Amino acid sequence: MIEFELVIRRYGRTVAVNELALTIPRGELFALLGPNGAGKTTAIRMLVGLLQPDSGQVRVCGIDCSRKPREASRLMGYVPDEQYLYEKLSGREILEFAGEMHGLDRATTRDHIAREAERFELAGFLDNLTETYSHGMRQRLVFAIALLHDPQVLVVDEPMVGLDPRSARVVKDLLRAEAEAGKTVLMSTHTLALAEEIADRIGILNHGQLDFLGTLAELRQELSSPHQALEHLFLELTNGHPLPAAEKIPS
Amino acid sequence: MTVDTNPPVGLPSPEAESRGFLRLEWRILRTQLAQGFAKSRLRYALVIVLSILLWFGLFHLVLEGFHFMKGTLPLRIHEQIVHAIFNMFFLALFLMLIFSSGVILYGSLFHGSEVAYLLTMPIREEWIFQHKFQHAVMLSSWGFVLLGSPMLVAYGVVAHAPWYYYAMMLPMLVAFVFIPAGIGAILLLAILHFFPRKRGHLLALTVVLMIGVTVWCFGSLFSRPETDLLTPRWFQEMLCRLQLAQEKPLPNWWLSSGLLEAAGNAWSEGAMFLVLLIANALFFRELAGMFAARIYRRAYWEVAGFGSPPTRVHAGWFDRMLNRCLGFLSPSVRLILVKDVRLFRRDPLQWSQFLILICLLLMYFANVHPVRYSIRVSPWVNIVSFMNLSVVGLLMSTFTTRFVFPLVSLESRHFGLLGLLPLKRDSILWAKFLFSVGCLLIPCGLLILLSDWRLGIPPMLIVQHQGTSLLLCLGLSGIGVGLGARLPVITEQSPSRIAAGFGGTLNLVISTFFIVLVLVLTTLPCHVYFARQMEPTFAFSGESAPFIRSWLIVGSLGSLLAGALAVLLPMWVGIRTFRRQEFH
Repeated sequence: MIEFELVIRRYGRTVAVNELALTIPRGELFALLGPNGAGKTTAIRMLVGLLQPDSGQVRVCGIDCSRKPREASRLMGYVPDEQYLYEKLSGREILEFAGEMHGLDRATTRDHIAREAERFELAGFLDNLTETYSHGMRQRLVFAIALLHDPQVLVVDEPMVGLDPRSARVVKDLLRAEAEAGKTVLMSTHTLALAEEIADRIGILNHGQLDFLGTLAELRQELSSPHQALEHLFLELTNGHPLPAAEKIPS
Repeated sequence: MTVDTNPPVGLPSPEAESRGFLRLEWRILRTQLAQGFAKSRLRYALVIVLSILLWFGLFHLVLEGFHFMKGTLPLRIHEQIVHAIFNMFFLALFLMLIFSSGVILYGSLFHGSEVAYLLTMPIREEWIFQHKFQHAVMLSSWGFVLLGSPMLVAYGVVAHAPWYYYAMMLPMLVAFVFIPAGIGAILLLAILHFFPRKRGHLLALTVVLMIGVTVWCFGSLFSRPETDLLTPRWFQEMLCRLQLAQEKPLPNWWLSSGLLEAAGNAWSEGAMFLVLLIANALFFRELAGMFAARIYRRAYWEVAGFGSPPTRVHAGWFDRMLNRCLGFLSPSVRLILVKDVRLFRRDPLQWSQFLILICLLLMYFANVHPVRYSIRVSPWVNIVSFMNLSVVGLLMSTFTTRFVFPLVSLESRHFGLLGLLPLKRDSILWAKFLFSVGCLLIPCGLLILLSDWRLGIPPMLIVQHQGTSLLLCLGLSGIGVGLGARLPVITEQSPSRIAAGFGGTLNLVISTFFIVLVLVLTTLPCHVYFARQMEPTFAFSGESAPFIRSWLIVGSLGSLLAGALAVLLPMWVGIRTFRRQEFH
């Protein structure tokens, strides 16, 4: 499970995340939404050990991510928005490196690589250098790396960027399957339709504060808009004024 | 708070992490070598051959110098002078390596996307640090090994050193390099951890302090000489002034002493210094690793968390003046040129090291006064001014390798923007060429003018030197931009890494050959001509005056041709590649 306990994070004088209190239990797929600069990436960077909160705590399965970042990252799989891959290694070599660094023995690493290769259909290019991969192939490999060590928690920042419809379907099914298998999935995205389709709960961050936390039905209830799509609700909540339909298409 | 019932599975041992990184490095190296030999055999062969030629050229030059000293000076003074030269050389290197390893580590440990990836994995911080530290050591010291080894081998030859002198040389150099690199890393981590918000000020303060110390050293070295140049008494006086570099607690003293002991058939003393250097290298490497284990992640958090304050920029008086001065150029070339000047100006981390070198040369030239050294009537003034011109040329070649060669590669990353503008691709390269010529010509011309003025050389020779500097600036710029376009490194974001790669090395080697060619063809006969007028028996006494005149005429024409080829040929090759290049 993931816990943000009254987390505050500033960049100089700017408050990026302000008293964020959020608990995501096991078996839940949580979508973190928000406009650009809302604090989503800052929150995720604190979770994966790339930033420290100014105050409050971020915990993964009870482990403080600032005090024991190694132990916390052992339990997490992370798919960043900008993937880093060693260009001069093949996909298999990168997976072997990741397995070794997660403490897996060789046989286990080999088995897990075979499993992920099948799941993400990597077999056709797994032994090619990653410098020859397309964006979609890279994204699938990054997912495989994140899941190689069977993490308890999966953190995904913008999962659908660059994926073709088939790969996107695979990822959606995978995220749901991981949550249903009892894992915690935190997904940050601008693709509102994706959140609407697969998330158990959503949180909307705006100016560093959690403006809404709950299910889509609860959001509709809160905004008294029972039949509106998430896009409309999101714009209403973050801007106060959703665009009228006529203004959506430029003349 | 709910505590998870599943404890974390065993984390990898330090040995496993070390093995993992070693395997990673080995696999990357293997792929790079295999790709290089499969696709670029000619390129690699060319670089290897040219590097060997450069190495032997330097070796021969230094060998002559050592022979000259050995023949001129009494044995005892000769040994002391060699010790002092080694001490000074290694001390300068020691200080520069502290600074350069710190700068490289700052980029790779705190701003690289690889470390952001590694920090999200359960890897010990000290191993991430060591992984990047080895890279920084290699990047900051390859030039030292390439340029320092000919000097040490030449000394070994002159001193008739035994085999173990040569065997100890490389381990001693490698061990020595780790000491300043470790100190630089510790200083960097401490500054970023304890004063993250003042890091800019502290960096500036460090630079000022280093310049201050260097000014003081040079001042004490070159001020008020009381004896004639290059006489035994002058050497002894210089020896006293080099005392600072000969402090026994300094690693440069250990290195020079170890090498000289080994060269003097004292293998046990040589081995003792080797062990001392290795022990200290390991100590500083471990100390830096311990520091990293405790504070690296926190320092990373501090740096990532503080961010950069928003900086408002606007077209200042300099940009407006530049725009007006370049009115004769086509608008596209002018705009790209002004953009490049802006980018260069706003990135002080990149050009500060170059500025330090120029300042050092300025101080040195300002202090070389012929009256002080009683060399006004001596042809030595010719040699000193010739050497000064050569040094400035070589400095400019490092500038083009470090800054001009990576320009096209760095531009390629933004080609999505530039490529969509109604610009001819050729104008981008010509703009970069002009930018480079402008950046080189001003410091190069001024430095040489200062040197010539202080030395009081004849006006004709001053004009010749200015002409040569123009030729060098044009040729070096052509080589830098042309090769940069022919051999771009599109995937790399760091200019220092681009410069340290294959193309950068080739650029440095070709630039050095070009400088040597121009100097030998035209400047050397000029100097010989004027030196013979002062003292007919000075140099090339066996050659007739018509020979010197012919050399001068043919050489001048040859150097003009070489200059034109150095501009046109690489630019033509570069433009052809750049027109066809596909950017993503």
